[in-house]
Amino acid sequence: MKWKSFVVAAAVGLGMIAIKPAAAEDITLEFTVWNYSLDTIQDNARKFEAENPGIKVKITDYTWPDYHDSLVLRFRSGTPTDIAYVGQDWLPAWAAAGFVAPLDDIAPADVLADLRKDIAGFSLSDMTHKGKLYGLPYYADTISLIYNKKILADAGIAVPKTWDEVMAACEKLKAGGMEHPIDYEFNQELPNFFDAFVSQVYGRGGDLFDKDQKAIFDNPDNAAYKQLEWLAQAFKKDLVQQDTHESKVIPSMNTGKHAFTVVFNYVLAAMNNAAEQPLAGQFALAPMPGDAHSALGFTKFYSITAQAAKDPARAQAAWKFVNFMAGKPYKVAKRWAVEKGLGFGQISLFDDPDVQAAWNKWIDSATLKQQVATARGGVWTDWTSVWTPYFRPLLAKAMVGEASVDEVMKAGAQRWNELREKMMKK
Amino acid sequence: MWTTSRFPALWLLPVLIPVAVFTIFPVAHALWTSLHQVMLLFPGEDWVGLENYRTVVTGEYFGVALKNSLLFTVLSAPLVVVLGTATALFLNREFFGAAGLRSIVLLPWVLPGAISAVLWTWVFHPGWGVINSLLRKLDLIHSSIPWLSDPKLAFVSVAVAHVWTQIPFAVILVMAALSTLNKEIIEAAEINGATSAQRFVHIVFPHIKAILVVLLIYNALTAFTTYDIVYAMTGGGPGTATTLLSFQIWKESFSMYDFGAGSAVAFIIVAISALLIVAITRALPSDLFGDG
Repeated sequence: MKWKSFVVAAAVGLGMIAIKPAAAEDITLEFTVWNYSLDTIQDNARKFEAENPGIKVKITDYTWPDYHDSLVLRFRSGTPTDIAYVGQDWLPAWAAAGFVAPLDDIAPADVLADLRKDIAGFSLSDMTHKGKLYGLPYYADTISLIYNKKILADAGIAVPKTWDEVMAACEKLKAGGMEHPIDYEFNQELPNFFDAFVSQVYGRGGDLFDKDQKAIFDNPDNAAYKQLEWLAQAFKKDLVQQDTHESKVIPSMNTGKHAFTVVFNYVLAAMNNAAEQPLAGQFALAPMPGDAHSALGFTKFYSITAQAAKDPARAQAAWKFVNFMAGKPYKVAKRWAVEKGLGFGQISLFDDPDVQAAWNKWIDSATLKQQVATARGGVWTDWTSVWTPYFRPLLAKAMVGEASVDEVMKAGAQRWNELREKMMKK
Repeated sequence: MWTTSRFPALWLLPVLIPVAVFTIFPVAHALWTSLHQVMLLFPGEDWVGLENYRTVVTGEYFGVALKNSLLFTVLSAPLVVVLGTATALFLNREFFGAAGLRSIVLLPWVLPGAISAVLWTWVFHPGWGVINSLLRKLDLIHSSIPWLSDPKLAFVSVAVAHVWTQIPFAVILVMAALSTLNKEIIEAAEINGATSAQRFVHIVFPHIKAILVVLLIYNALTAFTTYDIVYAMTGGGPGTATTLLSFQIWKESFSMYDFGAGSAVAFIIVAISALLIVAITRALPSDLFGDG
């Protein structure tokens, strides 16, 4: 009767397999980033995985200059993408194109309401499109005027408060033998090439657009027009060395051959990094010159893609990841701030003693608070990310003297207004 | 029944299918895209006929990109051929280290274009680039030369980088042509008192002229369609100083989200490239491909 025993055993085995619940499959989230401090991003993802068994995070990185175009290609081709770094200037276009999904449709309303209360005004507006919140902050910052304290002190120059004073300071330094007092991140294909210009305009208290989002910067009395004239003059007087990326600005400033630059605040942290830079400690933040001393405040954030949002299980896993990276108790945002000097949109982190201790090593907190308090968000419309690639080369042309400021501003304003009309009719 | 003996063309299917998928279909799709409104910010893909072509040609950047592309081609293609030929003639001799030198000369060809561009960006850096540093040490300059920030110099700098990447291929082809030249003819000419210039003009050049034409056409097309060097070195700038038509394809499609316009630029480049080839071949003497 051995065959009967075998049949019984087989039947029992098959029955056990049939009633055993299917093992839950791991979800692997596809997360795209630009490659700033990739090892930190990977470490954060591993920590998330450790706290969330069953969810894996696969990171794909791109260089900052390539990120936007690579993501457009990725979204258009339907390449699986669940969470992405998103820039404030791309949000309206990406939301209109259906690439990213509002968190309001995915995350618990009470959690979002609580998080919203602690996010700085310009940061919240950067992540909001048509009343819906599309992400949580990865990092928020201002673009500021950075100067070398020692060079100014040795030359007997006070920290400039207006752009005329900056020009005078540069001319004095040049007369004293400094070839290029300004080191400028000049790369017309980088989104921040336009952002840096806007920040300078805000310093003057100006606006590029009116309340109806029409371009007004082609008026010679407009602050943006005047700032471009200033820049064109600075280039014409050979006061400016161009560097194509912040990674070159940092060592350039650390040669002691330049007194001023206009960059993100976290670049100041890198310039003042005593472990790596010979002139660390000599660099400081100045309030953006001009009547208003305002600057552009902006936010880069984590967003869940529309692809992920279609699948409830993936959407929830993606939300868990975003909440881990940017939600309370802000472990990851604090890590970025303490280790790398990255700014943040979460207001309460300003009062964190670890953040204060770390930041006091490379920046004057009082000046920073003043700059952040006066910072304004940009005007980001559906057509901004189409218009800025058109306008940036024109800005560059005016700066290097290939075209007049008037030609450039008129061409830029005309194109903006045409796109605005086209979008209004859509 | 469908058998290869009855229908020999079936043998070609393993080749034709990938060609169709990876060449014919993308080209056909690009053509279709160029005739439709395919913009990220607007729904639908409506037929617009030649409107994309009209928009591109009348746009802010087309004229300057076309002018730059033609100038870039006229400057770099002949330079590659001349320098490549001179290098090949030099390397064709036997001397100590010739084999090693031949390998080194090939290195620029091995590097991806973007890597070469990064390398040259550092070479041309105004503050610590090797060119300015050397010129300062030799006391030839007292202030930095803005190789990549002056519009005219930036154009020349990008052309230099491009030519550097293309010379090795020219060297290989010319050396291959020279290897088929009967050395006894050269020796006989030398014995009879012909100078090196005379030997080149009357013996070497007629032997290699066909390959030089091929090189000229190839480098004209390469220069006209180059993208990676420009993108990585200058991003088309400063301003529009180094904006080429190939760069505009990327700009229209991926920066300005207008795939219809980007595809239109691509087909305009195809048309102009075809005209370039016809122009070059028509400009050459009719007996160029006769016996050397």
